[in-house]
Amino acid sequence: MSELIQVGASRPKAPAPDQLELRFSAKAISELAALRTHYPDNKSCILPGLWIAQREYGGYLSPEAIAEVAHRLGHSYAEVEGVATFYSMYTTAHAPGRHMIEVCTCLSCHMCGAYRIVDYLEETLGIGLGETTADGMFTIHEVECLDACDRAPVLQVGDQYIGPVDTSAIDALLNKLRGETNSTVVQLADSIVQVHLRDTEKA
Amino acid sequence: MAEHKLLFEFAHESEFRTLHGYLARKGYEGLKKAIGMDRQAVIDEMKASGLRGRGGAGFPTWIKWNGIEKEKTKPHYLVCNADEGEPGTFKDKQLMEETPFLLIEGMTIAAHAVQADCGYIYIRGEFVDAAKSLRAAIDEAYQHGYLGKNILGSGLDFDLYLHMGAGSYECGEESALMSSLMGERGMPRLKFPHAPLPTVAGLWDHPTIINNVETYACAPSIIKNGGEWYATLGASTKNSRGTKIFSVSGHVNKPGNFEIEFGTSLMELLELAGGMQGELKMCVPGGSSVPMINAEDCQKAIIGYEEMGEVGSMVGSGGCMFFNEHTCIVSFTWRTAQFYALESCGKCTPCREGTKWMLQILDRIVRGNGQPGDMDLLMSITKQIDGRSFCGLGDAAAWPVAGAIKKFPHEFEYFIQHGRSMVDTPEARALAPRLHQRAFSSV
Ligand SMILES: Cc1cc2nc3c(=O)[nH]c(=O)nc-3n(C[C@H](O)[C@H](O)[C@H](O)COP(=O)(O)O)c2cc1C
Ligand code: SF4
Ligand code: FES
Repeated sequence: MSELIQVGASRPKAPAPDQLELRFSAKAISELAALRTHYPDNKSCILPGLWIAQREYGGYLSPEAIAEVAHRLGHSYAEVEGVATFYSMYTTAHAPGRHMIEVCTCLSCHMCGAYRIVDYLEETLGIGLGETTADGMFTIHEVECLDACDRAPVLQVGDQYIGPVDTSAIDALLNKLRGETNSTVVQLADSIVQVHLRDTEKA
Repeated sequence: MAEHKLLFEFAHESEFRTLHGYLARKGYEGLKKAIGMDRQAVIDEMKASGLRGRGGAGFPTWIKWNGIEKEKTKPHYLVCNADEGEPGTFKDKQLMEETPFLLIEGMTIAAHAVQADCGYIYIRGEFVDAAKSLRAAIDEAYQHGYLGKNILGSGLDFDLYLHMGAGSYECGEESALMSSLMGERGMPRLKFPHAPLPTVAGLWDHPTIINNVETYACAPSIIKNGGEWYATLGASTKNSRGTKIFSVSGHVNKPGNFEIEFGTSLMELLELAGGMQGELKMCVPGGSSVPMINAEDCQKAIIGYEEMGEVGSMVGSGGCMFFNEHTCIVSFTWRTAQFYALESCGKCTPCREGTKWMLQILDRIVRGNGQPGDMDLLMSITKQIDGRSFCGLGDAAAWPVAGAIKKFPHEFEYFIQHGRSMVDTPEARALAPRLHQRAFSSV
């Protein structure tokens, strides 16, 4: 019981309404306006709205980011937070690194050596799964089947799949990503927002 | 038997992704024919074709389409289930990426048949490349009057939207998908007979048709060539017609998607995928949810909805994984259980608790700490989940575990008794996660 209270206590707090600082760019506001025309009900914009927020807030759905989506769509913080925490591609637990490397260890990948790829990443970066390097560059995660089992073992970075990978492919990938100034986490969120919009709706 | 490319005929030609290239390859002939036909006649062609849903359950497509009310009193919706998440399956991804117009045309034909005003393609969040390809195709279709108002001058209005998921296998379940599309957590809803069918009250409580990507993509050629023609494909099987795309992966030489006619044998499919690397030990023929079969049954298996049942498995979503002699069945089953435990949405007790218990037991076995009675315990849990869960995910979690124990009981017995895997090869050891390594060495 006490443990449950503890868990509740460490949940990030929603910002008070009068402390809400709206950060969406003009582009984001017009994207959200276009999205509203796609559905008969505003609520359907929560998922795409969270994608916009994930991009606008640098890849992390902080309580402030969730509160902004709730505010703009006229839904409660609790409702939007509930949605955000259900889906694995929204980052709500903590801010990720600039690049998130998501290694599939599911069935075909497991049987084609995915756990050696995980080991190699952990050793090379000096972090465990779910952790971020001290320089804020990389976060690594284990994910379920990416539905690219023909490329096992496969991993995802931003909106790209890479596979089959071996240790030298990982070395090359890490080098390339170190030289990349844009966050692939933000890039993924942006790509997802863009595919929702028709050419005539793009901001 | 070779591949039979109906959907994939032009998949390798990048031109096919453009409207111009699509039209040059007889694209949109199906729609042009359909809009000249009575709605019921379109549904009757679908009936004659014998097409069954390609999303996993194999439900006759025409029955769904026919179930929508003919006297339209409210908006009708069309949904495409493109949330492909079943481990082992990657066919919808390729279809969307390489043949986007087949899906768009198929949905437009369906829109005509069921008087839908508006459609949504719910795409798995990770599939950005597939979504980009569809995006470009939809934009082009709008520009040239193949979507939007008064399509091809027929009076048909149909808007099509893309909606991206955000990482949840459960959202492939149709009622959970609709919850997600309506902006909620991806949890399923009560089903018939406890609640109306989606064809009566689906999205926003309006009549809704939901089909898989591959199902819609079949419609253009069915209408173009006629349902009877389509039904000649697969005629050697009991009740499976047409072609089916299988995603083949695992220890094969040439993994990929292969479109075959129903009635092809499983071994021929394996041959298409370049044969085995090593010796065939086990196959999961239809995605992670279906029971595995051993090498002996693979020899007998014929691809068809009923025929696969005869060897104790299913066509499922067509995610066909073949594995060789270095595969530890217990480790494989542990990883399957982890998938379902993580993806359970948590709404109902048998699945939420049961999937976690199965994982805990399998986890202690693969760490070398299995206890006598663990096999019985696992079997009894599968029985308490199967048929007692709120949605199909629970059943899908129970079947592979029960199937593995039934087909390979000696591997489980050995692992529990000796605290290590029966598959004692350097290759098997190299595949195991670090925490399980102790159970994969002879020393
Ligand atoms: C847990 C679960 C996951 C599912 N995932 C998918 C999926 O990813 N894609 C799909 O088309 N159907 C999936 N289905 C099946 C759908 O519920 C539904 O039967 C299908 O979309 C109907 O389309 P069809 O008749 O064209 O096959 C899933 C079902 C369950 C129970
Ligand atoms: S069986 Fe129950 S807990 Fe499992 S996914 Fe379905 S509703 Fe959720
Ligand atoms: S198992 Fe890794 S992509 Fe399917």
